[in-house]
Amino acid sequence: MNKITNASIGSSIKKIGLKQEFSSMLILFVMFTITAILQDNFFQPNSVVRNINAFAPLILLAMGQAVVIISGGLDLSAGAALSLLTCVLTYVMRQDEPITGVYAIVIAFAVAVLIGVINGIGIGYLRIPPVILTFATSYIWLGAALFIRPTPGGESVKWFKIFYDTKSAEGVPAFVKAIGSVFQPALVLVLVGCLIWYVISKTKIGRYIYAVGSSNDSAYATGINTAKVQMMACIINSVFIFLAALFFVGQNQSGDARMGDPMTLRAIAAVVVGGIALTGGRGSVYLAIVGALILSFVNKIIFFADIPNAYQTLVSGLIIIVAIAGSVAYSYINKKAVGRESK
Amino acid sequence: MDTMKNLNDMSIAQKGSLSVMIDKNKKTIVAFLLIIFLFILGEIVVSNFFSVGQVLLTIKLSSFIALFALCQMIVIAAGGGGLDLSVGFTATLTAILTAVLMDGKNENLLLAILVALAIGAVIGLANGALVSYVKLPPLVVTMAMASIIQGIINVYTAGKSITGKPAPILQTLAAQSTGIFPNILFVLIFMAVIVMIILNKTRWGLKLFGVGTNETNAYLSGVDVKTVRMVAFIISGAVAGLIGLLLIGNMGTAFKDMGSSYVMPSIAAVVVGGVSLAGGEGNYFRVILGSIFLQTLTNLLVALGWGDAGKWLGFGIVLFVLLIAYVSDRRKR
Repeated sequence: MNKITNASIGSSIKKIGLKQEFSSMLILFVMFTITAILQDNFFQPNSVVRNINAFAPLILLAMGQAVVIISGGLDLSAGAALSLLTCVLTYVMRQDEPITGVYAIVIAFAVAVLIGVINGIGIGYLRIPPVILTFATSYIWLGAALFIRPTPGGESVKWFKIFYDTKSAEGVPAFVKAIGSVFQPALVLVLVGCLIWYVISKTKIGRYIYAVGSSNDSAYATGINTAKVQMMACIINSVFIFLAALFFVGQNQSGDARMGDPMTLRAIAAVVVGGIALTGGRGSVYLAIVGALILSFVNKIIFFADIPNAYQTLVSGLIIIVAIAGSVAYSYINKKAVGRESK
Repeated sequence: MDTMKNLNDMSIAQKGSLSVMIDKNKKTIVAFLLIIFLFILGEIVVSNFFSVGQVLLTIKLSSFIALFALCQMIVIAAGGGGLDLSVGFTATLTAILTAVLMDGKNENLLLAILVALAIGAVIGLANGALVSYVKLPPLVVTMAMASIIQGIINVYTAGKSITGKPAPILQTLAAQSTGIFPNILFVLIFMAVIVMIILNKTRWGLKLFGVGTNETNAYLSGVDVKTVRMVAFIISGAVAGLIGLLLIGNMGTAFKDMGSSYVMPSIAAVVVGGVSLAGGEGNYFRVILGSIFLQTLTNLLVALGWGDAGKWLGFGIVLFVLLIAYVSDRRKR
């Protein structure tokens, strides 16, 4: 009797250990611990706030990317779209006219949806391979961003700071400031993102995204409008990019046509490290948060290792390729192990 | 593929030979017409656009795009969604590293060529191994590789200026002209002939197209699919390394992002040339036409004063439209 329970406990522990979620959680925990040890003031409010601000944009982009990847696509234009949105926001806004901030948000949101629709039409309706299609569109976004903002700069209304640091924002009602001093804006943006995905995942579209991602043809055969679903995934991704753009403009008060370029690869890497299969159809969008946090903590650890500035691109590139290769190899070994177990 | 050929054979009997010829070379004709259209448009919008000098200059500048597109074409022909985003960065790296080695002397050229080949081949090997054996998506791998190479360049150039000059032979090859023809054109023709021979007349070329057309069939007929794909990446890397030498020969000095802006045009040139991105085919002549088209487009946009923004926007839109025309498979179901 005792033996049996022991055995079953043993096997269920093994099963937990074999889950991708568990492994990425474990890595996150290790990275978290190392960072907490290395950074003396890790748990002080100030540095917590600073860390959340540093991590939030990647989390948002990774979640958006995760939705597209689960639907069976890949978005190489995310970084360029982010740059374009910051340019649009700062192009519309005038520093002295607070109302222009509202126009800017509305227009930028419309542009974000348009970006999603164009990518979605290409991937879904025209059935062009997502990788090459978004590669092409990324240059359209880049060109458009360079048109309206050839050099970094631009202006922003003062109250836009609420998306970065509510306390220092001007011309904002007192109650907003009060809320902002309790809830970190970056955290709120991430929570808004989570809420958006939570709502969508409860609807038909949420289920269809998984169905289309795991087998486009089967989903089509069961009567799902696969093109529409893929387009919805692209639009959801755009909304996440839009949230990240709000944060960046709040932080820098300016737009830059090139600032998003390195973010694309990091977001894809975060999704893979989080344990979402690049083949689509599997994994939870929330795992992208785990992946983004892992990459961010690794970056922090490197920062503490006192590596000269010149080495940063090299090291982050190496980490991304090792991380992607590692997690793909891990899931491959896992699949084999699970296969053996079931035999 | 086979059914296509059968259809073509049948149509020879049914249609006249002229229409068959048009049918077979449809994409070549489209690329040609696009180039002529741009030149005429340029002549109307900007004066003095369509002249012998302008055409030759365009061909010279497009040679570099065409050479990078050669790397791209071989990787794409191997199938599996292959693309190589690291080519431009590889070229920059070899240019910067060999500049010091050559130091403006011809006798150091052989060493520089060997170093360039070695660097390119190692980068290609890394790309190919990760794509074939670890089974990562080529685009993600080569994108990360590009960032690693850029990192190496940053480290190497940190805190000091890039020194060294190309060997005079390279300058003659890349920057100067014989009569009215730029010398780089002869390099390009030489490369084109070699590529055509390798792809169409050797066993390896057959294997490459076989792997690209149908992976499973190639595997079942005894072709080592993984190795063929890896070798495609190695060739791409090695050629990119050599292009680095030509780039520095053309510019006279090496600088940090001399090659990176060629990555996008190199892919676009393959698409404009009508080479299938799914793999299994490769017609370098059409790719060269694609490069000329893109360079003409750049010239036109620069002449209109639209600069960088116009160039990238134009390239993006052209690539998007041609993807719809050539790649979209919406009719299949």
